[in-house]
Formats: sequence, C-alpha cells, structure tokens
Amino acid sequence: MRNLCLAACMAGAIGLGAAGAVSAQTRGGTLSYLVQPEPPTLANYISTSGPIGFVAPKVYEGLVDYAPDLSVVPALAESVEVSADGLTVTFKLQRGVTWHDGEPFTSADVQFTVMEVLKKYHPRGPNNFREVTAIDTPDAHTAIFRLENPAPYMMRALSAYESPMLPKHLLEGQDARNADIARAPVGTGPFKFVEWRKGQYIRLDRNENYWKEGLPYLDRLVARFIPDASTRTAALENGEVMYAALGAIPNIDAVRLRDMDEFSVTTDGYAMINSMALIEFNTKAAPFDNPAVRRAVSKAIGRDFLIDNIFFGYGRAADSALSSNFEAIGLYVGDQPNYTESADPKAAIAIMDAAGIEPDGDGVRARVTLDLIPYGEEWQRSGEYIKQALGDVGIKAELRYEDVPTWLKRVYADYDYQFTVNYFYQLSDPVLGVHRHYGTDQIRQGTHFVNGTRYSNPRIDELLAAGATEPDAKRRSEIYAEVQAILAQDMPVTNLFEMQFLTVYNNRLKGHDASAMGMFGSFERAWIAGE
Amino acid sequence: MNQTVRRLRYVSKRLLQAIPIVFAIVVMNFFLLQLAEGDAVDVLAGEAGSATPEYMAELRAKFGLDQPIPVQLARYLGNVLTFDLGYSFRYDMPVSHLVFERMVPTLLLMGCTILLAVSFGVLLGLIAAVGLNTWRDTMVSVFALITYATPLFWVGLMLIVVFSLNLGWFPTSGMETIAMFYTGLDRVLNIAHHLVLPTITLSLFYLALYTRLMRASMLEQAGQDYVVTARAKGLTERRIVFGHVLRNALLPVITMAGVQVGALIGGSVIVESVFAWPGLGMLAFEALFARDLNLLLGIFFLSAILVVAVNLVVDLVYSMLDPRIEVA
Repeated sequence: MRNLCLAACMAGAIGLGAAGAVSAQTRGGTLSYLVQPEPPTLANYISTSGPIGFVAPKVYEGLVDYAPDLSVVPALAESVEVSADGLTVTFKLQRGVTWHDGEPFTSADVQFTVMEVLKKYHPRGPNNFREVTAIDTPDAHTAIFRLENPAPYMMRALSAYESPMLPKHLLEGQDARNADIARAPVGTGPFKFVEWRKGQYIRLDRNENYWKEGLPYLDRLVARFIPDASTRTAALENGEVMYAALGAIPNIDAVRLRDMDEFSVTTDGYAMINSMALIEFNTKAAPFDNPAVRRAVSKAIGRDFLIDNIFFGYGRAADSALSSNFEAIGLYVGDQPNYTESADPKAAIAIMDAAGIEPDGDGVRARVTLDLIPYGEEWQRSGEYIKQALGDVGIKAELRYEDVPTWLKRVYADYDYQFTVNYFYQLSDPVLGVHRHYGTDQIRQGTHFVNGTRYSNPRIDELLAAGATEPDAKRRSEIYAEVQAILAQDMPVTNLFEMQFLTVYNNRLKGHDASAMGMFGSFERAWIAGE
Repeated sequence: MNQTVRRLRYVSKRLLQAIPIVFAIVVMNFFLLQLAEGDAVDVLAGEAGSATPEYMAELRAKFGLDQPIPVQLARYLGNVLTFDLGYSFRYDMPVSHLVFERMVPTLLLMGCTILLAVSFGVLLGLIAAVGLNTWRDTMVSVFALITYATPLFWVGLMLIVVFSLNLGWFPTSGMETIAMFYTGLDRVLNIAHHLVLPTITLSLFYLALYTRLMRASMLEQAGQDYVVTARAKGLTERRIVFGHVLRNALLPVITMAGVQVGALIGGSVIVESVFAWPGLGMLAFEALFARDLNLLLGIFFLSAILVVAVNLVVDLVYSMLDPRIEVA
C-alpha cells in the first residue's frame, strides 16, 4: 500500500515537473542572494549550519526532494520501494547523471556517502540512518538499504540539505572532514562551484550537463555576505540582491518591505526545519530541580506577547512538546496542561503555592539567572520581557547574554546555568529533532543541542524507543500522545512558540519556492522576470 | 651622502629594536586570547548542530588545542620565526593566505582614507586658521565638531540611504559588482565606484580630527618669534603662511596620521561591516567570535609589524620636513 502511494506521488511529481518546464520562464541571468553569516566551509555533510545549507544544496543533490506540500518527489532516485516489513528500502537511481568533473554517478556513491560519511560524520546522520546496517549495490543504478528496524522517518531526511550525495572518487581514502571538496564542492546538482572570495561572495555557475533537461533556468548564482543588517536591507531594496532568508532581513525591516510593491515576504520553506523557541531548565540545580517551578515559569510567560511585540506577529504559541507541524503525520496533540497563550500569573502562583514554594520578605520566591541564546537582539528583548513576566509571580531573574562559544560551553559542557532561552529545530520527524532533547541516552556532556537539561525518565526512554521503530501510524500517534502528556507535567523544557522565519524576496524572482526546502533547496527552477 | 649613511644606520638600528617589541606583542596577545571562554571546536560543533564528544576531542587533537598552553605557545613562536603564521581551522586555509587576501582591500580603503582625511583636514584647518574668527572659521569648526561627534555606522547608513537608495549614484555595499565579473580597467573603475562611500564615511571622522589639529597647530605657530621676524622682514602674509608656518604646523598632523595608520586597521570594523568591505577588520571580528586564535594572532602580528614600520617612516619624514630634527 505504502509503496503504491510513494510511487504514485513520484509519478505525479514527474508529470508536474515536465508541465512546468514548458511555461514561460526566461533562461539566463544572475541571481544574487544573501547568505548570513559567511559559512566557514561548504561541507554540508559534516555540518548542518544554516549558511552552509544555503549554498551546498545548489551543488549537491539528495536521493529525493520534497514538494511544497511536503510530498516526496524524485531527485537522484527515480523511484523508491519499501518492503512490506519495512526492512528493505530499494532506490532506483537516475541514469546518465554525472558529477561536475565528468565522472558518472552510481550506486557506489550512494553506498559510500551513507555508510562512510553521513553515518560517521554528519551531526544528524547517525540518527537519520541509525537502522541502516548495509547498502547493497546489485548494479550501478540500484541501491538497496538494509534496515535493522523499520525507520519511517528516514524518508524525510534524504534532501540535498540533510543527506547530500557525495562523489566517492574524490573522498575515498581521505579524511572526509578535510578534503578539498569541503571548500570547493563537486556535486551532481544544477549549479557548479566556481569561486569563493572570502568576505565577499561564492559564485556558482549553471551546470550545462545537468541531467534534468532544460534546467536550471539561471546562468549564475552569487551568494553574497553583508555583515550589517541595515546594509543587507538596503542592498535588497536597491535590487543588488534579490533574495534573503532565515532572518537575514530583520523582522522590523521585513514588515516595511512587505508593504512595498517590489517585494514579498513569505514564511514558507521552513517546514522541514520546524524551529521551536523554548526554555531549557537545568533539572539538577535549584530551583528548577522542582518541576513545579518549571511549570510555573511556563504559565507565567505570555507567548502571545513575545510573538506580537518582539517577533512582529510571526510565530504560533506552543502548547505541547511537539510542534503543530507534526499534525501532518498525526503525532501532535495540542492544548497540553501547563501551557498558556497569554500570561497567567495567578495559575503560576497557585502552582508554586501548592508546591510549598513561599515568598520571602521581599515577595521573592526564587532568585535565578536567565541565559539568552546569543543569536540576535530579539532574544535579548525576549529575555527582558520574560524577566518582567517572572517578576510578576515572584521569580526574580537576572539576564545574562554572552557570546556563542561561552554560552554553548556553559549550557552543554559545564551545565553551569539555571535556565536558558534557546531554539531547537524539531525537523521533519520527532525522532530526528525532538528525541535528542529528552532521551537519557542524549545526556552527552560537551555535545551541543542535545539533552542539556539532564532530564531522565525511564518511561519516556521506553516510549521514544518504541516511537522510533513503530511502523503503524495509529500506534505511533498513541505513543507520542503519551510522550506529550508526560512532558507537559515534567516539563524539563517549556516550548515558547513555533518560529516563523521570514524570506524576503524581489518580486521579479520567480520559482524559488519550487521545493519545500525553501532556501535550502536547489533553485533549479528559479528565474528572473524581465531578464 | 653622510646623511644617507646615517639614515641607513638609524633604520637598521630601529629594525633591530623592533624584534623584541614584536616578540613581546605576540606573547602578550597569545596569553590575552587564552582568557576567552570556549575554543574553536566549541564554535564549529555548535554551528554544526550536534557533534559527538569523540569527534570534538579528535578535532582538538588535530588543531593542537589539547596540548598544554606553554607547548602551544612554543609551537606558535617557532612557526612565527619561520614566517609561518599557522593554519586557520575555521576557514580551513593557511592564515597567511587569508590575511593577505584581505589585506589588499584594507590597504586600499586605509590609503584612500588617510590621503583624503589628511589632505582635506590640512586644507580646512588652514582655511579656519587663516580666517580666524570669521564665518569661514566658524563653518569649518562646526563641520568638524559635527562629523567628529557623529557615530561612524550612522554616517555610513545615512550615506547609503541618500546616495544609494534615493539617488542611486553608488552601490550600497561590497567591493565590486560581482554579477558582472568585470576585468581590466572596467574592474578598476568598478572598484573605485564601490570605494567612494566607505572612504568618505571613514574619512569624515579623521578629517575632523586633522582639521582641529591643523587649526590649533597653525595658530600656535603664528605666535612664534620667527613669524614676527618674517613679518618684520616685510614678507607677504601669503609667504609667511605657506613658506614658514605651514611647514612647521604640519609636524603634529604627521605624527597623528602615523599613529592612526595602525589604528585604522582595527577602527574600520564598523565601516567594513556597514559596507560589506572584505577587509581585515571584519576578518578579525569574525575570528574572535569563532575563537580562531591562529587567525587572530596572525592579524595582530601583522598589525604590530605595520605599526612599528609606520612609526619608523614617520620619524624619517620628520627629519625631512624639519632639518633640525636629526635621526641618530
């Protein structure tokens, strides 16, 4: 049944692609777009850092891609077949695909990429492919993944951004992390890497031998680095760049550009990263070793205030440990207890009263330090609001804003914090993005963006293990419903709001939204009107 | 002839003195940078999303960050002695390569700025001093005060708003129009076009300084005995100003310019950031937040050498401007 559905989806998408190609796109032109900050390398097989992901997926391709409605569409794999027991996944590969250096792309590349690179070095690869024990390559155009247990989430982690296919002939026998292609990538994608001027730009030119007939439409992509936010806005306004995403244009400017005729703003293209703003509590240190205080904090914060006043209305108040984006795969159960949209100081005080946390002579129930994620001003402002909201319920908070390395070390290596504002990508499946936050096996000192709260609950561990391998959709939703109920009580983390990043673009630019990956996509169908 | 020999001997003596100074600067920088929390591996792993502790330990070993600090220092000094500035782990490139690539735009911006600021500063100072307490003096002084008091980033942004967005005369940012990939003379003109706004922004601040300095220095010289003598000889005011006062009044300005050539490298972080100018200031700024210590040390090292060299040149220029000052 599932096989049929996938095959049907893919056939539909192929039809769509062919139909799209005959409409009136203009060929040629250069698209300059903003990448902020400048990436350190272009090795998206060892780092999921945003700026790398804005460039590398134009050069590399994944086995599949995702249409804007999140359905799976073919990329390097022309079809996928999952066996009835879910333990064998067979990819039939496209024929006639070559690497930018002219070598043919074969199943050996797939086998090497997944087993030797992604499973070993990719930050999320060990998770994405954890059930894969071997990949058989009966011929050059067939790759058969052998799984230990069913891994329903794996099909959602095969994009060029998450799992790029790499050239075996350029990486074999080398340290993957230090190979030349980390700086000068060689892929199969629509654009070829040409030049990287540090501090200025990366230039990618059209791949004339691209296997998709007639694509890409553009002659050239230029990824530009402009450190100052106001200048980035001016450059976009002046037409020097045409596309900016993931907060490159601050919301305050984005809403101004939104009202101009030449520009548009969209929140599409971020469903696969699925970002959640949240507060992590250090569950091993007072006062947040007491779940009641954590629940009180959750109740005291007006999520609507943060969204409306600091994020210009972009965001959705969280009401569960899982994002509402998981509704599409039937896992989200909203309206959990201890969550609130508007600040509810009375409920917060009631929770603390019931737990016997009394105010001292100054009306203060707890004195704490709130760390803030050092990724921009809006987080500082969020901190200022939270400080005030907590003050209303007798929790006196000091704010601490440090630079990135210091903050990372404090939270994930030294555990020298009480609670911190942060955000996590929940990604396309809880197994990929959420498990790392709560599992006991994810308490990994020195590793960033995992279980830094050191929360440990055997029942949660059991449920997470079951959820990862449960092929039945209904059973899976039951499992995650229980997970969400437990986490709403224990609350090692309280989610604040589902973040909506903004992409601002010049209206002359078309077709940049052909993939669910948004700016992590390939831009193969992007074109410029009037060029 | 004799003087040339003396100058050469002086230069070599100063160069020898510079060695322990630069050495001390390198060692001090090294220890200063150790004070920062976290290291390059923390940043790389943080950006990557997640990384295993084994991977991080492996990276630290590769970068040599697992060694005791004295060993790291000794290694670094050894490298510097052989003119090897080490390897930037963040950019995966030799430091020297990175720094020289970014040095050209910085020198271009700095050179134009100093030239513009000093020449216009001297001119404005002259105008103000000659027309002391007239409307010209007032205009120049007010202008200098305003430009000195205005924050650089604001000036830069306002220039962008006026000249790029509203008038469309200049590009907002960058060093060249990348999409066009010009070559030859077209490229030079294109870069010059991009250079205008950042140079003006950076110059305005220094211009004010030189104007005020020049004005004060001119006025001070005007009261000296030799001016009275010149006037008694019956020289025209024009000859007095240009032949006598100006030359002497320039000395403090040259001193200041010399000191600031060194400072301009660091001071241009703001302008480089506003105009996305790919210079050393931005590189240093990013290197600090990425804890790319090799790269930072490399930049500091070169800045130190530059400051030492400029000081030497300034001393030589002194002796040419004022024959009474002898080098020895």
